[in-house]
Amino acid sequence: MNESKATATNKILIELATFFVGDALCGMDILKIQEINKLMDMTKVPQAPSYVTGILNLRGQIVTIIDLGKKLGLGATDTTLNSRNIIVSSPGEHVGLLVTRLSDVISADTDKIERAPANMGGIQGEFFSGVYKTDDKLIGILDVNKVLRIEEQGH
Amino acid sequence: MQIEDDEILQGFIEESLEHLADIETDLLAIEKAGADIDENLVNKVFRAAHSIKGGAGFMGLTVIQELSHAMENILGMIRSRKLVPNPEIVNVLLQGSDKLEAMINNIQSSNDEDITEHLIPLNAIAEGNAAQAAAPKPAPEPLVEAIPKPVVVPEPVVTPEPVINEAVAPEPAPAPTPEAVTPVPEPIVPPVSVSPAQKLTAPPATSQLTAATTAPQVKADTSLRVHVSLLDSLMTLAGELVLSRNQLLQTIGSNDLRNAEAVGQRIDLITSELQEAIMLTRMQPIGNVFSKFPRVVRDLSKQLNKTIELTIVGNDVELDKTIIESINDPLTHLIRNSVDHGIEMPADRKQMGKAEKGIIILKAYHEAGQVVIQIRDDGKGLDGEALAASAISKGLITAEQAMIMSDKEKVNLIFLPGFSMAKKVTDVSGRGVGMDVVKTNLDKLGGQVEIVSEVGNGTTISIKLPLTLAIIPCQIITTSGERYAIPQVNLEELLRIPANQVKKRVERVGNAEVVRLRGNLLPLIRLADVIETERTYWDQEEAEHKADRRGSIADRRGKTSPLFQTDSEGQGKENKSSTNDRSVTDRRFAASSALNIVVVSTSSMKYGLIVDRLQDSEEIVIKPLGRHLQQCKGYAGATIMGDGRIALILDVSNLAKMARLTSIDGTDRANEVALAAAELIRAQKDKQALLIFRNSEHEQFAVPLNQVERIEKIKRSEIEDMGGRRVMQYRGGSLALITVDDIASVHPLADQDDLLVIVFNICSKPIGLLAIGPIDAIEISSEIDGVTLKQPGIMGSIIIDAHTTMLVDVFEIVQTLYPEWFAEKPAFKVDKTSGVIPTILIAEDSNFFRNQVKSYMTESGYKVIEGADGAIAWDLLQKHADEISMVVTDIEMPNMNGFELTETIRKDPKYNKIPIIALTTLAADEDVAKGKAVGVDEYHIKLDKEKLMTCVHDYIKRLF
Repeated sequence: MNESKATATNKILIELATFFVGDALCGMDILKIQEINKLMDMTKVPQAPSYVTGILNLRGQIVTIIDLGKKLGLGATDTTLNSRNIIVSSPGEHVGLLVTRLSDVISADTDKIERAPANMGGIQGEFFSGVYKTDDKLIGILDVNKVLRIEEQGH
Repeated sequence: MQIEDDEILQGFIEESLEHLADIETDLLAIEKAGADIDENLVNKVFRAAHSIKGGAGFMGLTVIQELSHAMENILGMIRSRKLVPNPEIVNVLLQGSDKLEAMINNIQSSNDEDITEHLIPLNAIAEGNAAQAAAPKPAPEPLVEAIPKPVVVPEPVVTPEPVINEAVAPEPAPAPTPEAVTPVPEPIVPPVSVSPAQKLTAPPATSQLTAATTAPQVKADTSLRVHVSLLDSLMTLAGELVLSRNQLLQTIGSNDLRNAEAVGQRIDLITSELQEAIMLTRMQPIGNVFSKFPRVVRDLSKQLNKTIELTIVGNDVELDKTIIESINDPLTHLIRNSVDHGIEMPADRKQMGKAEKGIIILKAYHEAGQVVIQIRDDGKGLDGEALAASAISKGLITAEQAMIMSDKEKVNLIFLPGFSMAKKVTDVSGRGVGMDVVKTNLDKLGGQVEIVSEVGNGTTISIKLPLTLAIIPCQIITTSGERYAIPQVNLEELLRIPANQVKKRVERVGNAEVVRLRGNLLPLIRLADVIETERTYWDQEEAEHKADRRGSIADRRGKTSPLFQTDSEGQGKENKSSTNDRSVTDRRFAASSALNIVVVSTSSMKYGLIVDRLQDSEEIVIKPLGRHLQQCKGYAGATIMGDGRIALILDVSNLAKMARLTSIDGTDRANEVALAAAELIRAQKDKQALLIFRNSEHEQFAVPLNQVERIEKIKRSEIEDMGGRRVMQYRGGSLALITVDDIASVHPLADQDDLLVIVFNICSKPIGLLAIGPIDAIEISSEIDGVTLKQPGIMGSIIIDAHTTMLVDVFEIVQTLYPEWFAEKPAFKVDKTSGVIPTILIAEDSNFFRNQVKSYMTESGYKVIEGADGAIAWDLLQKHADEISMVVTDIEMPNMNGFELTETIRKDPKYNKIPIIALTTLAADEDVAKGKAVGVDEYHIKLDKEKLMTCVHDYIKRLF
């Protein structure tokens, strides 16, 4: 969102894809999303970090699926009919984020994006690049790079 | 830089590099030919230098032009025979071509290079002053004179120059020091910018710097030459594929199943062809790598004052591009090692009676779907003992570990990190890093290294490489409900231990589980444990994976039990060997409790991986795992299976590490394993395989299993009584039938309707022995008693599972009942006419077998001398050297075994002509091979009288 701010002379709108991780409503810039699918036939990888649900064949590419719930410290995401993989690109590969269910796409005014609090719905503030308030909802905007960062000790 | 047309420049670079690659080999050939100039060759090099000069001139690459011009001059003189190429001249030329290559690889900054050190000797040679050429001194003056237009150059360029030079030319050439260290004097700068085409004399120094420092790293080719015909065929295939796709779409629309099948087949064919063709484009001849080694060997041997001849074989063997690129460094290291450490100094060689000129052979060839690269030298070889001692002194292994190592393992110690084999550290190699790096690099490529070395005779290093990295054949296995792939290169064999043998064959040594495999102990790893998943087993009945809670493998009492069942699989081997301890009602023996073991090998060791299920072998495409999974060391990657799901590819050497399994693991456990293995081998070798049967309810009989041809179930009504003899119809003829009670006084054949016929083959005729069940095949090592129950038709007795069992001498029965069969075989009697009775020495520790074999021999008229073990036999042989014309020996004997005896006999020139026949109970292939290697002439199975005697007679006949 930094790049949007830099050129924010007038009102700049970005499209946020929003989704639920457990009960928390999160969002991310829709342009960062490669695709969203509901392929749940994953292969488990023994000894992988606990937040890795498995690996998936995405048209010939191996994609690591990360359980967003676990990664954000909310506990494992149950796979239901509503769960989806949000595929985002990461340097050199694609990574899937497993979310509980999808919500709407919202046009957000970049000026109205505020700094994230230290803790939001049980998620550490460091994972968010900001918070966006609509009339009735509070959307945490995920910092994808932070989410995809690999910690030294697995998790 | 004013090079606008990138494409033309790129073309020039590629072409020049190609020329240069050839120049090197050609120059070496020219050097070898000496005064005997091969004009074609010189012409070729001349033209190469000339076209580089031309291209460089066109591009405005003045420095390259200048250097190639100087080289061309000399080549021209050689061509017109004004100059005889000697090593010094060729040296200068070679260095020149090296410099050219470096500059062309780094074309943007080539005009800033300082080539004085090359020009001086080149010009000196051209002026007929080779002496000066030999000792090049950096003297900048002539160069400056040669350049007419000193252009003003801003200061900044001067400072970065040494840095650039250092980065660009890291070669160990004799004169990098003056170039890099001495501050560059002002006048030397002009060549940077002489070119008339070049107006922009001083591009920003910083940009040059970055170009210079980054360029050398990016050496991997980004473009590739592909033969047009191959490209054409790719094109055709792509066209075909499009056509098939159209067909497929049509067929799907029309719902025509039969047509769909045909289209499917077509696509299948085209895809495989396309795959092959695409893989072919990646294949490159290994000669691309090999071609630089003559130079390496030449330069190095010169530097070390050795004379070495390098022979290269198999330049045209093709390998995948990626492999070709990465094999370069390990190979260079190995070659350097051979030159530096392998080949001795000429004086030393002469002393040892070798030719002064050392030989290194570099060879590439195909073998079993892999490419083998072999580096062989005839140098001093590797001394396993010395290596072990050195490893101990360095604290890499303990003395105990060294004790239990095989020679091969000792030689392979050289791959341990921190191990340097050079007695003194030389400039060339021997800094203690090296072989371990070579090995790691090769491991990465999926290759395997093996060293075979003989002290004093040289070393052979074999590298086995897969043809391509992209697609590899793999064995698919299942564990914990997931599929995994094991690369076929690591696969030794698949082993299934039936449930009822698990307890017998799997045991604990220390805290490791091992399985007996042909007399060796193989460490076992459970895949589920290493990768920390739930242990499961595959239930065949219900076709699902179930949790397995057993603590140790040998414990067969699972809590969730598969259905009770008889072990249905294989009436073959497994059944034969131990049906006696099978209990039908015990669930521990259900088929689902069988162990599936994949025996895998890494370059250093072999182990068994226990998996739930073994599936097919498939060709798979390796895909890398994402960075989140890099910490999982057990996987080499992943692959997509036919059903679209992913299977992980196992990295067997890392799995072994994760399970703390290393071959050079000489703790108490390894000692224990080694001891236990030796013990086992001893116990197992003298085992006799017997077939147990009954004649009546009360008496149990046995015959050697290896004499049995087959077993038939018949009804009593099938037996016909003809001419006082029992026969039955068998395979279109009549089979003579006998019973044990025909000549032995034992209980008569039980009066049953269901009978068994055990078929033997005696005097090349089949004969059936009537018997009743239960029958069983066992292996037993108990001593056979040849006295107590001996009678006609019975050789002796043996205790099997608390039952006294009589050993039937089928041969004798047949001989008594059908003497005419033997009448046709006069060959069995010794030819008395010669008057000499041949004497045979028998070495055998078992009284029973010794007497048995002795009786065969004496019966045929031979004289026999017997020894109870190898050592006694050896003494006897020396005492009776004149009489003994043949040795028949057992393999497993105390004091001196059959192999050792054979070796001892063969070593003595007095006896090395004597025929040696080895007798064994179980002729394992490896034993046969070992026996042949030490000098055994023939292998025979104990108690197979007929074959043994035929063979003995053959040899005796040859002697007399």
